[in-house]
Amino acid sequence: MSLTEISAPPAARKPTLLDQPERRFPLRLGVEIRKIRDLFRAATRNQWDPRTDIDWSALDGLDIDDAHRHAARMYWSRRAWSEYGAISESPALLIRFCQERREPDLRYFFTIRTQEESRHAEACYLMAEHLGGYIPAPALVDFEKSVSTHGVRKMALDPETPLEAIIAALVCAAEEVAFDVFRHLVEITPNRAANQVLRNIMRDEVRHCGFGWAYLEHRVPQMSRAEIAVCEKAVITMIRDVEMNGYHSSWLAPDSPAARDEVEADRLTWEAGLGATVEALEKPVFVESVRSIRERLKPFGIEIPLFEHPKFAGPV
Amino acid sequence: MPADGVRAFSGEIPTERRFPLHLEPAIRTIRDLYDEAKQARWDPERDIPWNGFDPSRYPAEVLEAARLSWSRKAWTEYGGLPETPALIIRFCLERERESDPKYFLTVRNTEEAWHLECCHRFAELCGGFVAEPANPAYRALFEQGLHRQALDAARSLDAYVAAQIGIGDGLDLELTRLARDNARDPVARAVLDRLARDKTRHAAFGWMYLERRAPLWDDSERAAIAAEIAHVVRDVELSGLRCAWLAGDTAAEIIAADRIARDAGLGAATRDEEEPLLRRYLADAARQFAALGVILPEFRV
Repeated sequence: MSLTEISAPPAARKPTLLDQPERRFPLRLGVEIRKIRDLFRAATRNQWDPRTDIDWSALDGLDIDDAHRHAARMYWSRRAWSEYGAISESPALLIRFCQERREPDLRYFFTIRTQEESRHAEACYLMAEHLGGYIPAPALVDFEKSVSTHGVRKMALDPETPLEAIIAALVCAAEEVAFDVFRHLVEITPNRAANQVLRNIMRDEVRHCGFGWAYLEHRVPQMSRAEIAVCEKAVITMIRDVEMNGYHSSWLAPDSPAARDEVEADRLTWEAGLGATVEALEKPVFVESVRSIRERLKPFGIEIPLFEHPKFAGPV
Repeated sequence: MPADGVRAFSGEIPTERRFPLHLEPAIRTIRDLYDEAKQARWDPERDIPWNGFDPSRYPAEVLEAARLSWSRKAWTEYGGLPETPALIIRFCLERERESDPKYFLTVRNTEEAWHLECCHRFAELCGGFVAEPANPAYRALFEQGLHRQALDAARSLDAYVAAQIGIGDGLDLELTRLARDNARDPVARAVLDRLARDKTRHAAFGWMYLERRAPLWDDSERAAIAAEIAHVVRDVELSGLRCAWLAGDTAAEIIAADRIARDAGLGAATRDEEEPLLRRYLADAARQFAALGVILPEFRV
């Protein structure tokens, strides 16, 4: 799915960045975006290891029934699938940065960002394992759709999709919502191991979001009104058609057996204190997240409208 | 003279079928390597004694040579930045592949960024990073588009790993160790020591992966692997990608710079040292590949 042409029909193979020969030189390696280089250095200083930095004993001898345990296994397996998407797809952005010889800071930062995504997948996998066993595939076909990504790889390799639009939509919108939800989960999750996993992921996500905002801050002054409008369209598509379709929050998804299963697994996991949240608690977090994104994008000339969704009484 | 190291791209990358998604440890040796890499994390800012570099200890011509020698290191190190993400994606696109290589490669990419940052910084300390090779023919050796090859559905992933990691990364490790052993300057030595430690894992990864895969190869796969290795050795390595003296006149200034930097203890090596190492490495690699059922042609250095 393209963020800028969401309903475009499938076409014959278009040339991608991979059709272009490598152009490495002249090779710029100095600092060009200080904030992003600092994020790379902060990430280097703040690495962690899911195997050794989580108190896994907090999952021993849990007093929960089979239904809650199974739900938590499913929740953390699903989260692992979602984190894995960033390993499978986001590295394409680094190829894009290199191929277009973008600012070197982006390239440095994205190497460690991908490593962080693998830590996240590993930590979520280990959570599922400690809760009875990781589940390698969704039970329902619809589930597969709900954990697929937004086609980052395809967009990143498409030279006609502006990089700034991808960053604005994926990072400043989608990752910002993900971060706000992580912060909420950290606040409400009592189990020590689950809380540590969520907290460590959240700390990495702070930098991932910071990267997006720092890049927009650097790029927007150099962009035309038309280019900014493409970013605006991409963010609107991301919020309206991806986030408000249940990408991060299952209760926002259209009703289906898969969506109902997901909501129920979330509820049981939350009830067991093992992560996850429920609609009543997450709704204000989501509303505030969208409001905050709208406010932060305004100074860049990116105007995000109010959105309608049957789950909300008024516009969001 | 550099030969044609650039391969055409077929236009197709493999199609992903994500589920069932295997995240469990499956190749224990590689999982251990991944765990070891996470624990061996370091910080170029903190773990290299940058303040220990005193440029006043070196004559101007030595610093000039060292900045070029270390810039060349950075040009080479940079290759991992676009290549490794492509390789990660390729492993993810291959059906039901183990998670261990994917995880390991994400750490490798971070380490490549640290290596690049260190080489760039050392070149800067020596007088300034040089942004590109002077000779276009030599420059072409660095622009092979490995990210395209790694993702190309028409190419075998195992052949890619055999050639680029089994040969390329293995040789890179040996040359880095040689430069480290020649380095008397404390900062140059500290940088090269860190690089050698990480590269030891990078090279080991390739052989561990190949050992795991070898029982699955048929004659045609073994032939494809041998052909890919022959291409990389003849058209890339023996054209001077890592051993500049093999590039002849197109890299004359690099060869001279390496000699001066080596004599000053600034972490380089000369043809006299690299040539026997290269012969030995290729002979050892040929034996290891033969043990995996892949018979390599003889290479004339």
